[in-house]
Parts: sequence; C-alpha cells; structure tokens
Amino acid sequence: MDDMRAVENAVSTAEIKIAARGVQVFYGDTHAIKDVDVDIPDRTVTAFIGPSGCGKSTFLRCLNRMNDTIPICRVGGKITLDGEDIYDKRVDPVQLRAKVGMVFQKPNPFPKSIYDNVAYGPKIHGLNRNKAELDEIVETSLRKAALWGEVKDRLSEPGTGLSGGQQQRLCIARAIATSPEVLLMDEPCSALDPIATAQVEELIDELRSQFSVVIVTHSMQQAARVSQRTAFFHLGNLVEYGETSHIFTNPSDPRTESYITGRIG
Amino acid sequence: MSISVLVLIVLAVAAAGYVLARRRALALAGGDRRKLHSLIGYYGQTVFLFASVPALLLLGAWLFVQPIVIENRVAALITAADIPEGGSLDLVLSDVRRVAAGLDAVAAADGLSEADVAAMQADVSTVRDRLAGVGVALGAEVKPNVFKAATVYRGAANTSRLAMAVAVIAVALAGFGLSIRRVRPDFRARNVFEAFLVTLLIGASLVAVLTTVGIVASLLFESIHFFQLYPAKDFFFSLTWNPQFRGGSSLGIWPLLWGTLYVSFVALLFAVPIGMMIAIYLSEYASKRMRSLAKPAIEILAGIPTIVYGLFALITVGPLLRDYLAQPMGLGESSSSVMTAGLVMGVMLIPFVSSLSDDVINAVPQAMRDGSYGLGATQSETVRQVILPAALPGIVGAILLAASRAIGETMIVVMGAGAAARLGLNPFEAMTTITVKIVSQLTGDTEFASPETLVAFALGMMLFIFTLALNVIALVVVRKYREQYE
Repeated sequence: MDDMRAVENAVSTAEIKIAARGVQVFYGDTHAIKDVDVDIPDRTVTAFIGPSGCGKSTFLRCLNRMNDTIPICRVGGKITLDGEDIYDKRVDPVQLRAKVGMVFQKPNPFPKSIYDNVAYGPKIHGLNRNKAELDEIVETSLRKAALWGEVKDRLSEPGTGLSGGQQQRLCIARAIATSPEVLLMDEPCSALDPIATAQVEELIDELRSQFSVVIVTHSMQQAARVSQRTAFFHLGNLVEYGETSHIFTNPSDPRTESYITGRIG
Repeated sequence: MSISVLVLIVLAVAAAGYVLARRRALALAGGDRRKLHSLIGYYGQTVFLFASVPALLLLGAWLFVQPIVIENRVAALITAADIPEGGSLDLVLSDVRRVAAGLDAVAAADGLSEADVAAMQADVSTVRDRLAGVGVALGAEVKPNVFKAATVYRGAANTSRLAMAVAVIAVALAGFGLSIRRVRPDFRARNVFEAFLVTLLIGASLVAVLTTVGIVASLLFESIHFFQLYPAKDFFFSLTWNPQFRGGSSLGIWPLLWGTLYVSFVALLFAVPIGMMIAIYLSEYASKRMRSLAKPAIEILAGIPTIVYGLFALITVGPLLRDYLAQPMGLGESSSSVMTAGLVMGVMLIPFVSSLSDDVINAVPQAMRDGSYGLGATQSETVRQVILPAALPGIVGAILLAASRAIGETMIVVMGAGAAARLGLNPFEAMTTITVKIVSQLTGDTEFASPETLVAFALGMMLFIFTLALNVIALVVVRKYREQYE
C-alpha cells in the first residue's frame, strides 16, 4: 500500500505544473503568508482548505499575480510555472493571467451578452483568425463548461440575466476560452445553491482531464469530493499537504486533525 | 405691542410649558422617571412645540394678510379725483401709508392724544409742515381724502395689531393648555414629538416644491400673455430676431436657439472628452495621494463664479483665438465668437463631467475589474471594454446634467459670444443665446406690457422646458443604471 503511494507520488512529481518555494506575502505590515512550499501537479485538482483568514485565497492570487493589483501587497519567494519564474521581470503578468485563468467567489459576468463574455479573452489576446473561429471557441468553451445546451439559443442576451449557477459556469467558460494551462478557483461555489454546486463540482472533475485545477474551498466535503491533493493552511502557514484521502483519513499534523474534525476554524 | 415682544411672550409661554410639563410628568409618575413612556425631556419638548409653533405660524400669516385686507378697505375711500394726472392708485396708497406713519411720529413726538390727531383733519393744510417737522417729506399738500384714509389706515392697523396680539397669545396659551393636559405617564410624548418633526420636515420640503410651482406658473402666465400679443407662429417659425421698441419687431426664437445649441455643443465637445479622461485617470490609475490632490483641485473649477470665466473669455481667450486662429485663417474679425464662449464654458463644465463620471466609474464593482484582469486584460482594455460599458448609462447622465448647465449659462456667453442674434455655421462669428436675450430684453427702463419684454418669459419657458427635459432624461438614465447592480 505504502509502496503504491510512493509510485503515484513519483508520477505526479514528474508533472509538476507550479512549484512554490519559500513564498512570503505581506499586506502592509501584516505577514499574510509565511514561507510556503507547494508543488501543484498537472491535470489534478488541488484543494486549499483552512479557516477564514488563513491565507489560502491570498496564496491562490499569488499564482497568477492577481495580488499585483493591490498596491500594498508584497510577494517574496519563488513561484515557477513549468520551471519559469512567474515573478521574473521578463514575465508579463497580463500574458501570465491568460495562461493561469481564474474564477472568483461571486459570479462576475460582464454586463455584456453571453457570447461577448466568453469571447472577451480570445478577443483581447487575439486567439482567433476570423469570426468563425471565434464562434467555435465560444461554443467549445461553453460546451466544456456544460452550459452550451442551456444558452445556445440566447447567446446575445446579457450574461447578467442568467441564474447564479449558470453565471458561475459562464465565468468558468470565460476563463477556459483563453485555453489556460491552470485554472484557479476561489471558493467558486460559495454563492451557489446545492444543485448549482453539484453541477460546478461535476464540471471541475471533467476539467481535470485538460487543466491543472486549484480550488480554494471552505467546505471540507467539497475538497474531499473533487480534489486529489489537499493543502491545509492555518494562520498563514502551510500545515500539511498531500493526497486528499490521506489528509482526510490520516492527517499527520494535530492541527489538521482538529480542523477536519471541527475543533478549530 | 411690537412683534418682537409678542414673539418673546410666546416663547416665554412655551418655555414655561416645557418646565411645567416635565414637572407634571414626573409628579404623575410618582417621582419615578422609569414609569414614564418617554424620556422626560420629550414631554417638555412636546408642550414647548405645541405652545410655540402654532402661535408663531399664526403671527406670520397675520403679518402677511393684514396689509392686504387693510389696503383694500382704505382703497375704497380714495376717489378718482384724488388720483393725480399720470399717477395711479398704488402711488396714492403709498402716500396714505406715509401720512399714517408720519401721524404716528407726530403723535409720539408732541404727545398728542388720538383726539388731537383727529382734530388735525380740520386744518389739513398744516399737516404737510408738521409731518416735515418729524422727518416725513411729502411731495404735495395732503388732500382731505388722503388724510381721512390715513386716519382710517392708522385705526385699522392699530385694531388689527391689537387683535393679532390677543389672538397669538390666545393660541399660545391654548396650545400650552391642551398639550399639558395630555401629559400623563402613558402619554407617548416620544412618538408625538417624532410626528411633529416629520410634519416640520414635510413643510420645509413643501417650500421648495411650492416655489418651483410658483416660478413655473408665473412663467406660464406671462408666456400666455405674450402669445396673446404676438403670434405663436412667428415666435416658433420666424428665422429673424429683431426686437424694435417702437413696435413691429420680429421675435423668432430660431437664431437664439441655434446659438444656444451651438455654444453648448462646442462646450460639450471640449468638456466631455477631457472630463472623461480625467475621470478615468483619477478612478483607475491615480495613486491615492495624487487623487487626494487632483480631485479637489479640479473641483475648484466648479467654484469659480461664471462672471470670472466671462472675463477670462473676454480678455484672454477671445483675442487669442482671433489673433492666432480666426484672422490668419480668414474666418472672422471678432473676438467674441461661439468658439470663445464654447471653450471657456467647456472649461467650466470639466469638473461636472469628471466628478460625476469618476463617482460612476468608482461604483462599478471591483469584481468586474478582477474578472477582466483575471483573464489577462491590461488596464486600458479593462477600462475600455468592461468599465466604460458598465458605467455608460451613468456617464450619459453626467453629460446630460452638464448639457443642461451649458444651456442655462449666461455670463460666459454675454462676455464671450457677444449679443448678435444670427443663424450661421462659422464658429468664429459672434452669436448669442436665449439666456443673453432674456437679460437684454428685461434690463433698462421697460414696462411689462409690450411683446418685446414679455418675450423674455416665453424664452424662459422654452429654456425651462429644454433643461427640464434634459434633466428628466438624465434622471431616468441614471435610475436605470442603478438597477443594474443593486
């Protein structure tokens, strides 16, 4: 049993997509992330769990340099995507974010048509040669996001008119339209009802075949359902990181155990 | 009894009511303030308000109505023979008031009794000298009827003032008595006080509404008056504006309307792009420090009096445009031009556009920006493709408000664009606007009976309808925008 796990781990380390080493984040004087090391494998769902304010969302936002938009935020340490340092001066954060897509806590479709919402990314990055190709990208993205069937007859209607769950899937379609390599999701289901949550979770599981997915969640059940690997954050520290089944059945750190059994958090 | 004394008496009654109500409430509660429904101060305040406000309102109303009633009575005593050639009843009545005031002064100075004053009627010719002695100069001998009217006026005024004092004090006491009897421990003084305040606030807002109604009504009546004297067809369809005070003028609105729209258009053409860019810079790019310095600095522009902008147009911008643009290009010789007024007015409008648009852009949720940045958009792509479309209705509202400002502007146009009513396309020629012509038709020695002066009201009415329509459109657009995110 232990041997098999070792083999699995060896396979996944071979396909490391994102590697973080000694990452520090400061908000002004607050030390929000303390010396975090994480390896995120490709084509896997990695869940970040932990109590509110533990820094999991902050760390997620480091991975596509979204923290750059916050003036008081400073990031230290090294994060590499396919071996390339994303905080290197030569890296354009704008290009990076096309490769590392992001879905937010609250569905935030633009006040545009459904079609234009999905076409937004491809248009600004010039991913299509003509209108027909753009149509195709929009259709594939909506299909991948399991939304095509529901919206194919009303692509010109505003995206804000959809239901909450549909809006969130539209945002996922929008993110995958730029064909990212990694998809970051910051509590994507926290504003959704259970049915919409189930649909999005199913979708996340399907997306795993093409992308590396990193999901921040408050729900430990959700982490257990959708992820293969789980990282537990507490007070800015990465406490424990490993196979999801391992973290939830046999945590090695007492803090992880307290959290998943409901004693802290 | 003078009015200030009366007010003091009312306030004293009310103050006594305040103290007594507190005592009574406390006494009825057996000295335990926890048994009272409301805080003890509310009992006092309720009685204070009921004793003072109705009495003071009555006082105000009485002072407003009294002169009207008395003058009607006095006017009946004046016969047609008493009105001098070329004069009017109003002038005689003002003589009556002055004689009455003079008689008061004489009576006070010489210690005359009412009977002595009445006796003066026997020898009216001396009245003028006696009044001059106390500093009341009259233009002519006092006619017997005028003197009689003055005595009646005095009598009526005295009676009325006495009646007023009695009535006001009675109302104050009644308010005091009625409200203090209601003071019991279970009396909901707090709620009554609240209701009273609501009434007061409604009253205050009614003042503004009624004033607007009054202004519109006066515009409307005078405009109707104008259209009775001058054919509406000519006003709305004639293409010339040429008022002649001898009569036979042609009063077409088109040259003025065209000037108004042209100047406003130039102003907006200048103010909207610059204002928008300022708004985008301030809300999306500027650091906190920069914003805290730049925003107030720009808003200072909105505080400059328009006459100062007018001066700037007259002595700086106008000659500059003439010497460096208009003359070299052979477009005009005049320093007053549509361009001058438009540019300066544009500067005046910049803070309106920038400040309102800045607020609107800031109201676009951060989630929109995050969504766009998260897809790898640059800042300017985000602004152009997400933020501006989302903020567009609000920005349109801001522009329409600026437009209605531009249409109503007067001083900059007087000093920058001149006063020549003309239909033309050359922006370096002098033109004029509706507002300027309203001023010039009403200034000077005019009487309000000729179409040449009354046209000002019709013009004002048109202007009012125009800006009202713009404001309504702006409000509707802004409201629609609000619904989108809330």
